[in-house]
Amino acid sequence: MRRSGFRLSASLFLALATGCQRAAYAPTAHFAPVTSQPVGKTQAEDPAVAALIAPYHDKVVAQMTEVLGTAPAGLVKAPGENPLSNFVADLQRVRASKELKEPVALGVMTNGGLRAGFAPGPVTLGSVFELMPFENELVVLDAPGPVVQQLFDYAAHIKMAVSGATYTVTFDGMPKDIRIGGQPFDVNDARTYPIAISDYLATGGDNMVFFKSIVPRHTNVLLRTAIADYIRDLTKAGQPVAARIEGRVKAN
Amino acid sequence: MKRREFLRNSLLGTAGLTVLSGLANSAEAAATAKAPLKLTILHTNDMHSRIEPFPDNGGQWAGLGGMARRAALIKDIRSKEANVLLLDSGDIFQGTPYFNFFGGELEYKLMSQMGYDASTLGNHDFDNGLEGLQRQLPNATFPFLIANYDFSKTPLAGRFAPYKVFEKQGIRIGVFGLGIELAGLVADKNFGQTVYLDPVTTAKEMAARLRGPERCDLVICLSHLGYKYENAKLDDRKLAAQVSGIDLILGGHTHTFMDAPEPIASPDGHATLINQVGWSGINLGRLDYEFSVKNKRAGLASASVVPVRAAC
Repeated sequence: MRRSGFRLSASLFLALATGCQRAAYAPTAHFAPVTSQPVGKTQAEDPAVAALIAPYHDKVVAQMTEVLGTAPAGLVKAPGENPLSNFVADLQRVRASKELKEPVALGVMTNGGLRAGFAPGPVTLGSVFELMPFENELVVLDAPGPVVQQLFDYAAHIKMAVSGATYTVTFDGMPKDIRIGGQPFDVNDARTYPIAISDYLATGGDNMVFFKSIVPRHTNVLLRTAIADYIRDLTKAGQPVAARIEGRVKAN
Repeated sequence: MKRREFLRNSLLGTAGLTVLSGLANSAEAAATAKAPLKLTILHTNDMHSRIEPFPDNGGQWAGLGGMARRAALIKDIRSKEANVLLLDSGDIFQGTPYFNFFGGELEYKLMSQMGYDASTLGNHDFDNGLEGLQRQLPNATFPFLIANYDFSKTPLAGRFAPYKVFEKQGIRIGVFGLGIELAGLVADKNFGQTVYLDPVTTAKEMAARLRGPERCDLVICLSHLGYKYENAKLDDRKLAAQVSGIDLILGGHTHTFMDAPEPIASPDGHATLINQVGWSGINLGRLDYEFSVKNKRAGLASASVVPVRAAC
């Protein structure tokens, strides 16, 4: 009796001792239950569960392949001003302005915030998920002059376009001639500028630390939803999914 | 002799000394009495809406997981074990278009079909707000246990119990849930007036209640605090070191793949085991406990991580 007790505990010691030292899916002890097997190549599906999944799977596939619009030319992401960032930053302003029922002067989207561009041809909901896989919310920041100046300082270093504005980058990478809605920007004006932006960037993402002090206003709209809805609206209006480099950022 | 020495060394090097000696006692008692009572605990964490296996595209987890496979695996284990508890540690929601399109409906329906006994709430389970969570609750036939969120000022008041006691062949198993601090992690509007209570204080109250008036033989904490942080933030290891009376913490949040449960000495000297099995249903965790008939004292019999792989 004692002997069997010893053997039982001995195999456990072995199990824990080896289990702590190596990654192993194999049963860890002699007396591990026979059901404690790693599930390898033989693991079949439960047919009842697979049947419950099937109709949802079909709906997901159907929705992901739904064509929202058509892009005559590809919208690619690239450093500096690019059609893809212009497209998204512009629609951010449109949607934010619609949600808050007031004009939104600026829109900001970084190149890194977008994952994949649109290929020429049909744009599906799946394409929008690939462009924006994150659950980012569209928010609005009310930025005072000095913060807007920091935004353009940041932008000028990487020649990033800002929707609603134009500026020139000096030879040493600083912004000058900043115009917002066509009007010259004065850092000393005692006013704020609404900026349509993702909550990710608004809270300091992509090193936009200068935004962190501003409490964002919510739209309660996911950026992905805003993009998909905007493309649907374009299609309804008979317009293509298109954007171009407009010279929002000029050199020298 | 050589073997004995090895065993002694292993024993000295293991913090789970009390668990091990507990097992030796129960095993000896079992050998002299009837066959021991067994309990098999199966568990998942952070399944993140991974309904289907990861796409077989060469990615890190390609072809792994899948709820239909997990269901078959669980069914197989149930056919061989008399006493099974199937538990989850939260973050059921978010991660695939299934959540974006159906809001968690399918996740809850599948878990119900698999016979989950309980889950707790993870931060991502708030991603569609309190209303989004409320909408899906009718699809779940299992309870969500959460002891340190006070929902009394929210639309979810009264919808969640702090703990539940399961009884298997006379063995009483107390299970309670602990959630992570929501502020800063979840958008304010998504958790509303939910009040976060200190997990350590709450866990002490739970352990006292389950060990005392509820006469539990085994106490399990479903935790979404996270396995381990280098800073002062509370994690499962710190919790285990500060609270006595918990046998097992089934963790989540940090997506930690543990090869074996980790024993941590609690203040009263007994070891609390911590286990966490990655995320997305890549693995099904399994721990087998044995209870001696005389005193029903638990000893860990074995633990393993069961990967859910492709049938190919």
